[in-house]
Amino acid sequence: MTGSSLVLFVMRRLALAIPLLLMISFGVFALIHIAPGDPVHSLLGTRAPDPSTLAAIRARYHLDDPLLLQYGKWLSQVMRGDLGVSIQGNRAVTGTIADRLGVTIFLTLMSTVLVLGPGILLGAIAAFRCGTRLDRVVVALGVFGASSPAFVTGIFLLYVFGVLLNWFPIYGPGRGFLDRAWHLALPALALAISVMAIVVKITRAAMIEELARDYVTFARARGLSWRRILLAYVLRNSLIPLVTAAGLIVVGIVAGAVYVEVTFSLPGLGALTVDAIQKRDIPTIQGTTLLFSAFVVLVNLAVDVIYTMIDPRIRFGRVGS
Amino acid sequence: MRVPEIGEIRRRKQRLRIPIVILLAALIITAVVTCAVLGEGIAPDSPFRQRLEVGDTPPSPVHIAGTDLLGRDVLSRVIYGAKTALVGPIFVAVGAFTIATLLGLLSGYLGGFVDSAIMRCVDFMLALPGPLVAIVVVGVVGGGYWTAVLVLGVLFTAPDTRIVRSAVLEQRPLPYIEAARTLGISKTRILFLHILPNVGPIILAYVALDFAFALVNLAGLSFLGLGVEPGTPDWGRMLFENRNILFSNPVALLLPAGMIILTAVSMNLIGDWLFERFAK
Amino acid sequence: MNRTVARAGEHSSLLEVEKLAISHGAVPITTPLDIIVKRGETVAIVGESGSGKSLTARAIAGILPPGINATGTITLDGIPLMRLSERELRKIRGFRVSMLMQDPFTMLNPLMQCGDHIDEMLRDRPAFASRAARAKEVKRRLAEVGIVEEDVAGRMPFQLSGGMCQRIALAAALARDPELLIADEPSTALDVTTQAEIIKLLRRVQRERHMSLILITHNLRLAFATCQRIYVLYAGSILEVGDAAAVERQPLHPYTLGLLLSEPPVDVRVHRLVAIPGFVPRAADVVDSCGFANRCDWAKEICRTGKPPLMARDTTRLTACIRQDEIQSELDSLRMATLSATEITPRPAVATEALVRIDALVKTFVGRQGRPICAVKSVSLHVMPGESVGLVGESGSGKTTIGRCLVGLERPTAGDIRINGIAAADFDAMAKADRARVRQTIQMIFQDTYSTLNPKHSVGQALGEALGASAGASSPATPERIAGLLAEVGLSAAYSTRRPVSLSGGERQRVAIARALAVKPAILVCDEPVAALDVSVQAQVLKLFKRLQAERGLSYLFITHDLAVVRQITERIYVLYLGEIVEEGPTERIIGNPQHPYTRRLVESIPRSTIRNEP
Repeated sequence: MTGSSLVLFVMRRLALAIPLLLMISFGVFALIHIAPGDPVHSLLGTRAPDPSTLAAIRARYHLDDPLLLQYGKWLSQVMRGDLGVSIQGNRAVTGTIADRLGVTIFLTLMSTVLVLGPGILLGAIAAFRCGTRLDRVVVALGVFGASSPAFVTGIFLLYVFGVLLNWFPIYGPGRGFLDRAWHLALPALALAISVMAIVVKITRAAMIEELARDYVTFARARGLSWRRILLAYVLRNSLIPLVTAAGLIVVGIVAGAVYVEVTFSLPGLGALTVDAIQKRDIPTIQGTTLLFSAFVVLVNLAVDVIYTMIDPRIRFGRVGS
Repeated sequence: MRVPEIGEIRRRKQRLRIPIVILLAALIITAVVTCAVLGEGIAPDSPFRQRLEVGDTPPSPVHIAGTDLLGRDVLSRVIYGAKTALVGPIFVAVGAFTIATLLGLLSGYLGGFVDSAIMRCVDFMLALPGPLVAIVVVGVVGGGYWTAVLVLGVLFTAPDTRIVRSAVLEQRPLPYIEAARTLGISKTRILFLHILPNVGPIILAYVALDFAFALVNLAGLSFLGLGVEPGTPDWGRMLFENRNILFSNPVALLLPAGMIILTAVSMNLIGDWLFERFAK
Repeated sequence: MNRTVARAGEHSSLLEVEKLAISHGAVPITTPLDIIVKRGETVAIVGESGSGKSLTARAIAGILPPGINATGTITLDGIPLMRLSERELRKIRGFRVSMLMQDPFTMLNPLMQCGDHIDEMLRDRPAFASRAARAKEVKRRLAEVGIVEEDVAGRMPFQLSGGMCQRIALAAALARDPELLIADEPSTALDVTTQAEIIKLLRRVQRERHMSLILITHNLRLAFATCQRIYVLYAGSILEVGDAAAVERQPLHPYTLGLLLSEPPVDVRVHRLVAIPGFVPRAADVVDSCGFANRCDWAKEICRTGKPPLMARDTTRLTACIRQDEIQSELDSLRMATLSATEITPRPAVATEALVRIDALVKTFVGRQGRPICAVKSVSLHVMPGESVGLVGESGSGKTTIGRCLVGLERPTAGDIRINGIAAADFDAMAKADRARVRQTIQMIFQDTYSTLNPKHSVGQALGEALGASAGASSPATPERIAGLLAEVGLSAAYSTRRPVSLSGGERQRVAIARALAVKPAILVCDEPVAALDVSVQAQVLKLFKRLQAERGLSYLFITHDLAVVRQITERIYVLYLGEIVEEGPTERIIGNPQHPYTRRLVESIPRSTIRNEP
């Protein structure tokens, strides 16, 4: 694909993503209104509900304006980087998010590496040894993984490796790179297991399908080496279904992070969200939800672009037979 | 010009061979259903009776799974918890798929404007991070089991509609449907008597998979304190309540956790097996 | 670089297959087979589905699918192939034995450039270490298979036509100059005219390289036209072996004769089509008898007391028919009687209104990226009551589109359609009564026999529903009426409770025909109704069509690419090319003396016999 047409393509997909982001942002904004009770009281927090405070809140959040205008003002605030103020202690939401961002990023990155690396490898091995005991074991593990949500796996890992064996710490994020990695090992593993199951399943299914394809048989009949067949034929073609599922994987990791951070008491964005929910801290909820959602949308966009780049058939359209 | 494969006769229907694993899975589901239905009948103790003076104790002959922080018998709570573990997910899976089947049939068969409209909504919902939205919405609206069921049901409808629509699109160009059209058979008849019976089996497989996913998500919401009301015996809720007694009575955590996994695994196995059988 | 791999004058055997038995676990797929291929010889293995021919080819190449195993000996130039390890086999594959498969679209890696398929085969040779040297060689080899355009090597497979892809695949298969090429149905998935080109290419390449060729096909006439020796495979056993010309002139086995007679010849319109009743059994079901016994007119007790062995009749011919010497004269006379031409009685010119009239039909589709594709450019045709008309064309000719417009599955962009006088171009715009009347006049038979019936409904349900669909159905769909429909198509009433999955392709097509007949139509639009059926079953269905026409005065619009079929069934044909009619007229005249260059190409593409058609 030529450089300029690629840029055009990215622009077009971005254009599609923008209304999506707007709609999501509207939903996030509307949270304050779907919460039970008067929005003013939701924003009170620990302060006393005297008229002047209430009026101040009304003014700050433009609660007397018509809905769409409120939304507009809120949106412009957000675009300027102001995500509001937490109802606990009046701290800027952006500040709190910045504090917690590091842990979540570390956690999700670690998980992603665990998911993709061993996940694809296991799927590939299972595909090559399809039907053997090894394959059946991998498939069984996959089903277990898919059925075990991150918080459940987390609890088991916590108990076995944290409490019984005492190999890993059971709470806290750790300080410094290695220490942090050690602290986040169990949570990352818990998070990875449920998502890895999807990756293993898809990789295995994709490779089994590829290995049965006519062009692989033809390549074998021509005497090409297994190395060549693997690299040029099987792997490349198997990537496509995997990339298609990347969106699913990202969502799984993001959602799982929330559960895992709660389980292991990690000061990350996920735990922040849950904490804010329990305390009815709407501005904070809005901030983190917006961030997560925007992240997911952008990753999906990136995936779409990558997908178009690796499968030439999409670009040119197929020639009818 | 592509010539389809020259005739293969499938004279013998594949004999029904149910693997042992599936039988085992079915057994587990039956056991869980029994617990849900009989509940109090088979529980050794009341799941609500608190013994504050005793507090949390490890397993003992009297309390096979020990007691939790409020002195309640863990085993009874787990047995009782089967109810909330099954009822909600059934509503989610069946509800979502009923609506999804209707939407998918219309969208896939009628095409055109109806299809575009429905799929645009579906695509929007699919772009959202589902579990996260569930957490936030249920949390902000103010928890509750049935709120969670409703929110999950709505969220599941999107991917389910897409699944039904693809299945319908697979059937639509086939000659038996075209022959029905040529004979002048009505659209309603074609949709419900021709297409539906042929996409039905695969929908059933997905319902099982949806059930497992709903179970896990619902338990997750309870784990965060957002699902069932406090005090209700529920597997996810128990994980929320008993986190602090990990050292004194780990069974109070491991047993409900194990039940969640077992039930979800069984349903997933059954769903996968049905899928293999029907997807040919 | 040496391309001719055999020393001239050597006629020793290159490949000797002894007692090759293929099975799927415990289920036998073939009985022990013996095949010999000499250097530079062309051998055909002819068989229908379930004969085991494809697996035999793969066994020789050493790439059986998992779960399938083979016993026996395969010796290539003295090397016992089956005893080699995978690593050693890889030195044979591509270098000495290579394989070309059926579907050109799936044979090439969709993510790899066409030239790379040849390029990757050259990388291990020191002479081609540099990319430039390889590129030059790729070009040369593409030229060998008839591709001379510059940019083909850089294109992706999906951008090219089936014929081009097949040529590239051939170049890739030959890139290491093998001595033996196994071609598994290399032209089946292609258009008729492209088929002829590819077969011609194969023969040229084979001759120039003095290469041995094993051609796997279901088309007996193609085998006769292309190869020197024939092996006839049926339900896993070889039934006859011999030189092509000899086998064609005088088949020594009832099955070979039946196959020969089932394939409608294109040279003559025969008096009657001979169909082989029944369908092809699985090898596992006929282990202890002659595989053909249940369908054979000459079967006796002795044929079922054990599998008859292949016996030599003279130096180069073998047959597995245990009664051959008794029945040979009957076989010969049947052949002579059937293959004699018959006169077509000219239709008395009755001045009636056309049953179906199409005027200036145009259909444009919106293709990828919004570009319009004009499938039908401006077609006018008509069918008189009781007439059987053929619409002949290859893929992309628009013939299927025209058929679909007639029954309301597509709406024409422009033009007029009149069915029995009623304007039927736009089904949605018609009055309800008119639409119902049109639907009762014209019905369609589809190509895909596998999905032509609802798999969840029994035969009786399907027919009952069709009976109920006739507007103003005075009597409900009674079992008697269903049985009546089944009888019309030659099926017993017991079929009523059966499900499609338990029926063979031919049976399913018959049920589909019965379903169409339920509304008592005056004309049937048949879109390639026999293309997906086994050869021995095709004739059954064609005979049914002829009988229905004779008994009920049914008209047909027979849409097909197969001129041989058209010759046997139709009186008049239209030849369609890229959405336009290029020639029309009586079938005999067009096929016997085609005028338009495209029609001529079409007629010439059909494999002819090696012998002049002497009775």
